[in-house]
Amino acid sequence: MNSAVMMLENTVRHFPDKTAVRDEWEGLTFQALRERALSIGGGLASKRGERRGILPVVVYLPKSADAVACFVGAMYAGEPYVPVAADIPMLRLQSILKSLRQGHLITCPQLAGNLEGLDLTGFTVHISRELRTLPPDEAGAMARLEEVRDVDPIYIMYTSGSTGTPKGVTIPHRGILDYAHWLEETFHFDEKTVLGNQSAFYFDNSTLDIYTMLYTGAEMVIIPEVLFRFPAKLPEFIEEEGINAVFWVPTVMIAVANSGILAQKAMPGLNKILFCGEAMPNRQLNIWRRDHPGALYANLYGPTEITDVCTYYVVDRPFEDADPLPIGRPCRNMGTVVLTEENTQAAVGETGELCVLGSGLALGYWNAPELTRAAFVQNPLCPDYDQRLYRTGDLAYVAPDGLLMFVGRKDSQIKLRGNRIELGEVEAACKTLPGVENACVLFDAGKEEIVLFAQTGEALVPRKVNLELRKRLPAYMLPGRLVCMEALPQTPNGKIDRVKLKSTF
Amino acid sequence: MNDIEQAIYDFIRENFNIGDDPDFTPDVHLFDSGFVDSLGAIEIVEFAEERWRIEITQRDLTLYPMNTVEEIAAVVASKL
Repeated sequence: MNSAVMMLENTVRHFPDKTAVRDEWEGLTFQALRERALSIGGGLASKRGERRGILPVVVYLPKSADAVACFVGAMYAGEPYVPVAADIPMLRLQSILKSLRQGHLITCPQLAGNLEGLDLTGFTVHISRELRTLPPDEAGAMARLEEVRDVDPIYIMYTSGSTGTPKGVTIPHRGILDYAHWLEETFHFDEKTVLGNQSAFYFDNSTLDIYTMLYTGAEMVIIPEVLFRFPAKLPEFIEEEGINAVFWVPTVMIAVANSGILAQKAMPGLNKILFCGEAMPNRQLNIWRRDHPGALYANLYGPTEITDVCTYYVVDRPFEDADPLPIGRPCRNMGTVVLTEENTQAAVGETGELCVLGSGLALGYWNAPELTRAAFVQNPLCPDYDQRLYRTGDLAYVAPDGLLMFVGRKDSQIKLRGNRIELGEVEAACKTLPGVENACVLFDAGKEEIVLFAQTGEALVPRKVNLELRKRLPAYMLPGRLVCMEALPQTPNGKIDRVKLKSTF
Repeated sequence: MNDIEQAIYDFIRENFNIGDDPDFTPDVHLFDSGFVDSLGAIEIVEFAEERWRIEITQRDLTLYPMNTVEEIAAVVASKL
């Protein structure tokens, strides 16, 4: 009985009639969430057929309370869930299904039509509304949960891969169990907490909202996605809905600060503000701290390959606008090491690759043992016994006060508006564009824009290029700028001269 | 197009480099079709709020779709 769903079993006994999660359309109490999830879990388990092994549950639904019920339902079925976006390009969904090889897919009538033409071999397709009409299968769920170990996978999240194929990061139950417990202890979440969820469910920041809700009896309010286009309207929503804690990407924090609304609209209830996903600039954090004083501000850090977060820093002193913000110290169940290129421990102040260890570490990439072996390695500082490290590819150093400072990336992975993007994946998609003979994709950090240099004989229209790319890439990966060239510049040995292209920024 | 639709249509065409693209129609999805990005959405709402001296609240944004010129104009008209 080491499934993270035991959190809900416990919480539902204390707060059966309290709202667990709500969206624009409905609210579910803990009791209702449990019943719906038990129905879904039973429905999934009844369709195993002849298939052996793990059957991951792809949840292809709009961001909603119902999607959360499907995640919990997968846990009652004893299977990991795989959240994907409602607007996922079909070619990307196909490559995810191919990587998973077999499993279930839950969708709704509005989205089901998009699946036409996909190769669904090995998958059972379910409609969530039909699953939930089944009787709650409590006895079956309890029997299945007996078999779940804390090292079994709880979710698989697909993240950008540099070769063009997304990688399925697989997280174990124990990572979530330790994470939820650490969050509760560190930030004092409880049943009076009302979380304003911003994170997409296919992004691991959403696990803070979901598992704090399941573990402590907090309420999770899914903020309508349209409001993030209008950051100046967010404070009004937060006040009206009684939200008192948020975990947002800095992009949203920055947009709210820049809108000037914080000086005009008070949010007396909002007292915990956590952020993670990219570097938070102190210029905007200082606007928040000036216009919304008294709240707890915390900078969290973690790649998808660990259970959401591995280091944190509670902002406890003033910073100049131009100062970097520390990413802090490891969470209790996690550890960090900064390694030099020679695989030795970096000295204080010396920049190296940030490596992470601890119970929150992913099991690896789903069905990709070679990728897993390359990224999850034995700790070179620990020759005497097994200790797995994840090499994040992030550069960092330890400041004299012991706090970790983030510096940048080793490779061409970027963070844009909180989204992790491998430029190689964007480039691979751009090379498939009709009329494009060759392509180079670079990031203009100054303008925060992905730039596509296309070798083409035609004058391409950026909007149409992006519509074409949308068949392969999520919207957040689209280039913001298109430069058409008759020939891309080359280095003497015939490679694309990226340095020269970058010098045009 | 009514007057409100025409004003919104013209504002978007002039401010988002659209020129005479034949795909730009009053019922085209402004965001999915790539005519306007999320920052542009703010500009359009601010334009409508100033031009017609109305306030578009978070409730309007969450209750009514505002993805096309026609849809935006309908929300504006409901406030006049």
